[in-house]
Amino acid sequence: MFGLVKGLGLTLKNMVKPRVTYKYPHEPLEMPNRFRGIQYFIPELCIVCNQCVRICPTDCITLTGKKSDDPNVKGKVIDTYEINFEICILCDLCTEVCPTEAVVMTNHYELATYSRDDLYKDMEWLSQNNTLVRKENTLHPLPKKTGAKKA
Amino acid sequence: MLRTEEMLLNVGPQHPSTHGVLRIVVKIDGEVIREATPVIGYLHRGTEKLAEDLNYTQIIPYTDRMDYVSAMSNNYVLVHAVETMLKLEIPERAEYLRVITLELNRIASHLVWMGTYLLDIGALSPFLYAFQDREKILDLFNELCGARLTYNYMRVGGVKWDAPNGWLQKVEQFITMMEKRMKDYHQLITGNEIFIQRTRGVGVYSQEMAIQYALSGANLRVTGLQRDLRKEHPYSIYDRFQFDVPVGRHGDLYDKYLCRMNEVEESLKIVGQALASFPEKGRVLGKVPRVLRVPEGECYVSIESPRGELGCYLVSKGKDKPWRLKFRRPSFCNLQILPVLLRGENMANLVAILGGIDIVLGEVDC
Ligand code: SF4
Ligand code: SF4
Repeated sequence: MFGLVKGLGLTLKNMVKPRVTYKYPHEPLEMPNRFRGIQYFIPELCIVCNQCVRICPTDCITLTGKKSDDPNVKGKVIDTYEINFEICILCDLCTEVCPTEAVVMTNHYELATYSRDDLYKDMEWLSQNNTLVRKENTLHPLPKKTGAKKA
Repeated sequence: MLRTEEMLLNVGPQHPSTHGVLRIVVKIDGEVIREATPVIGYLHRGTEKLAEDLNYTQIIPYTDRMDYVSAMSNNYVLVHAVETMLKLEIPERAEYLRVITLELNRIASHLVWMGTYLLDIGALSPFLYAFQDREKILDLFNELCGARLTYNYMRVGGVKWDAPNGWLQKVEQFITMMEKRMKDYHQLITGNEIFIQRTRGVGVYSQEMAIQYALSGANLRVTGLQRDLRKEHPYSIYDRFQFDVPVGRHGDLYDKYLCRMNEVEESLKIVGQALASFPEKGRVLGKVPRVLRVPEGECYVSIESPRGELGCYLVSKGKDKPWRLKFRRPSFCNLQILPVLLRGENMANLVAILGGIDIVLGEVDC
């Protein structure tokens, strides 16, 4: 019997302690800066190097590049960029390899929708997802020159 | 005399006490189990086969999803295998971060086990306390690597992130708090007469049997055999820390509980020591080639995960992808003893014995 009473003592002690639960979703839940949420894509920075597509373990990035309208710019510029959030596992590898930090993580995590089609996010949507962007991003320091590649 | 008939009962795959999607087909005679057959595979995703088409960095997020209660150990066993093959040198600071995260994850995993196990056998409040403390560890991990369960933290040659500012202090605070909390748990559960009656002498097996069934982890140590891979063949920097390997005496469910709780205390010790000797500065990712081409050959490495011996067998043909990758998952191996343990048992003990093995279905089915 004694063990039971001792245990009950702890329960009573906890009764007067403050609550530990969060009021999510009524109050937003803040995530630490490194949190891996839905990506923010910056089309101007992308050099169409395809590294993010190649590293993605679930093959959920689709991109196409085109010749730039500006004749002074060598190399390609991004035309379309899509991430399929049905299969993206937010693993962080695309942002890790991107040499120009064109694709970065944000702290947004709410993806639930009523339709599967809503989970295909295109370039426009991704480039507008520009709040709560993660500050630290890649392991690699930024390269000095971006854009122009040797022919 | 009443004439009784055997009945076929299907437990699971959707059943809260199977901790995932395990199905057990039991033949019962009244209240007594005559035969039990676990049916697995409901969560099979073919990780090992998928890995053959992925390079080594890409496999790491897949390992997160095997034993999702302690993803750090899964991360580690894979990078450890690749590092062994490549004979890489790991920076000191990375090793310390690895040990700290591995041990914190062990604590989190045992807390989940403790909470859900007591829930299985009918006690609600320990579950809430355990999850409250585990939440603190998950928050620490969230801050460190940006996710609460699927860490994707280890990299071949080190770890992805260095500890953020103030993180180590937070870990220290957690250790101090957790040491006090352990007393609370003992107060709440260890001496509880109902719990003792429910678990003492239930699900007993001998040491020989445990060895025959290749059990590992607490399931083996509960029979009194002191086998812990962190001591037996120390990997990472475990040889630098002082800790004991708790063992049981009776091989029953109550000893399993004691073993795991003592392991939490040992883990707290290890983290404390690691924090005390944490290198001031240094890299967290060693020098690794951009494309990881593992030389032709094969290797097997194993580590002590919270559930037992977690092994990784890697066969490489010199490409940047494995030719064959095999994980020795402790949950899968430990589950094999279940039909034997259940035979002749009371039906009410099924959930208690199954819970005692501590399986994670993501790992059983892989
Ligand atoms: S986070 Fe991972 S899964 Fe998602 S797009 Fe990036 S690489 Fe692919
Ligand atoms: S890795 Fe970065 S720069 Fe290269 S294609 Fe992807 S988003 Fe563009």
